[in-house]
Amino acid sequence: MANVKGNTSPKKNLGVKDFITVGIFTAIMFVVEFACAMLGYIHPVMVAGLSVLIPLVGCIPMMLFYTKIEKFGMITIMSVLIAIIMFVTGMGYLGAPLIILSGVIADLIAKSGGYKSFKKTVLSNGIFSLWICANYFPVIITADSYRKDLIDGDYSAEYCDNLFGAINYKTIAVLLILCFVFGCIGALIGKAAIKKHFEKAGIV
Amino acid sequence: MNIRLDPRTKLYMILIVSAVVMMSATTPLLWAVRIIITLVPIVLLIAEKRYASAFRFFALYTIALILTFFFLSDESTGIIKSLLTGYCGIIAQFLPAMITAWYVIRTTKIDEFISAMQKMHIPDGITISLAVVMRFFPTIKEEYLAIRDAMKMRGISLGGGNVIKMIEYRMIPLLFSCVNIGDELSAAAITKGLGGKIKRTSVAVLKTGAADIVLITGFTVAAAVFVIFKYFV
Repeated sequence: MANVKGNTSPKKNLGVKDFITVGIFTAIMFVVEFACAMLGYIHPVMVAGLSVLIPLVGCIPMMLFYTKIEKFGMITIMSVLIAIIMFVTGMGYLGAPLIILSGVIADLIAKSGGYKSFKKTVLSNGIFSLWICANYFPVIITADSYRKDLIDGDYSAEYCDNLFGAINYKTIAVLLILCFVFGCIGALIGKAAIKKHFEKAGIV
Repeated sequence: MNIRLDPRTKLYMILIVSAVVMMSATTPLLWAVRIIITLVPIVLLIAEKRYASAFRFFALYTIALILTFFFLSDESTGIIKSLLTGYCGIIAQFLPAMITAWYVIRTTKIDEFISAMQKMHIPDGITISLAVVMRFFPTIKEEYLAIRDAMKMRGISLGGGNVIKMIEYRMIPLLFSCVNIGDELSAAAITKGLGGKIKRTSVAVLKTGAADIVLITGFTVAAAVFVIFKYFV
């Protein structure tokens, strides 16, 4: 009987459909991140600009994702997946705690609004955007040895100077705030875009 | 020649390669270890008859290495040289992980992957979502190319030079098709009994063969050598 009950209470348990939704949106978000990170190769200052770019470009998929969430756990799973993908693509594991923490907090905030309250969604998206700063963690935590590694690893000294000028202990606070603010702004833009395109089409 | 690897071996390879990639190579020996580790997935790609991609990765990696070692140095200044140094550094740094990830994604069947994850007792949520992510990258690329073609046909590929429009024109149709594909995917997954309460059986039988043992030992030794010579010698 317990099994039957588990299947008939869709409010509580995540089903296959939810997992697939999470997978799809994670893939899209990763493509967005990858495309933005390509710009970082042009100039190191652009690496710091990721904290503005990713929330703005990724806002539409994120807000569409939020309309699909009804149960606790989906944002958390997404953050775990992002942490795994970051590790696999060679970004390191230092950022993983930040990614998962921001995912769980964002999930809790959205849950407190019943996944329907728009204000809570904006706040939640702002918090979740903090995961982008995980990209910078190897730069900040291991600044000295990472710099040496980069120069030993044949990055030019010029690139390093620019990189560490833009990202260090002092600027990380600014970057975190930027992520949060642009996460919130992104939520507003994304909401407008979804209203413009998806609600008319009846997808949401 | 046909080597069938256990998906768990492949995951182990990813783990080792990403760990090694994070530590920078400083001495010739470390570079040698790293290059050998990179060559393994390329050889495996050839064994799977994926000659084109194997050759592309090999060429890219070789060019990056040759440029890094023979033409560029720390003192290279000037915009082109420092840019080139940055690119080659990034390619030499991250390409091994990329090649391995690409090999694993392209050669692992989803059912094999899921049954391997189940054997390692990974929660269903992570397994299914991760399988979808793996399966979805090629789909996104296909859909994106289709959208680009359609835009070209109407002559709006640059969105009038407006960056926001450029993003919007691509993102919105992409999301539409992804949402639809997602619905189809969930229907297919439910038909195949995913997410049920009963333990699924699998057609894919996982066996650890000789090749798996050789690779696991090889990668473990390589990682050990790398760590020891980098930090303790």
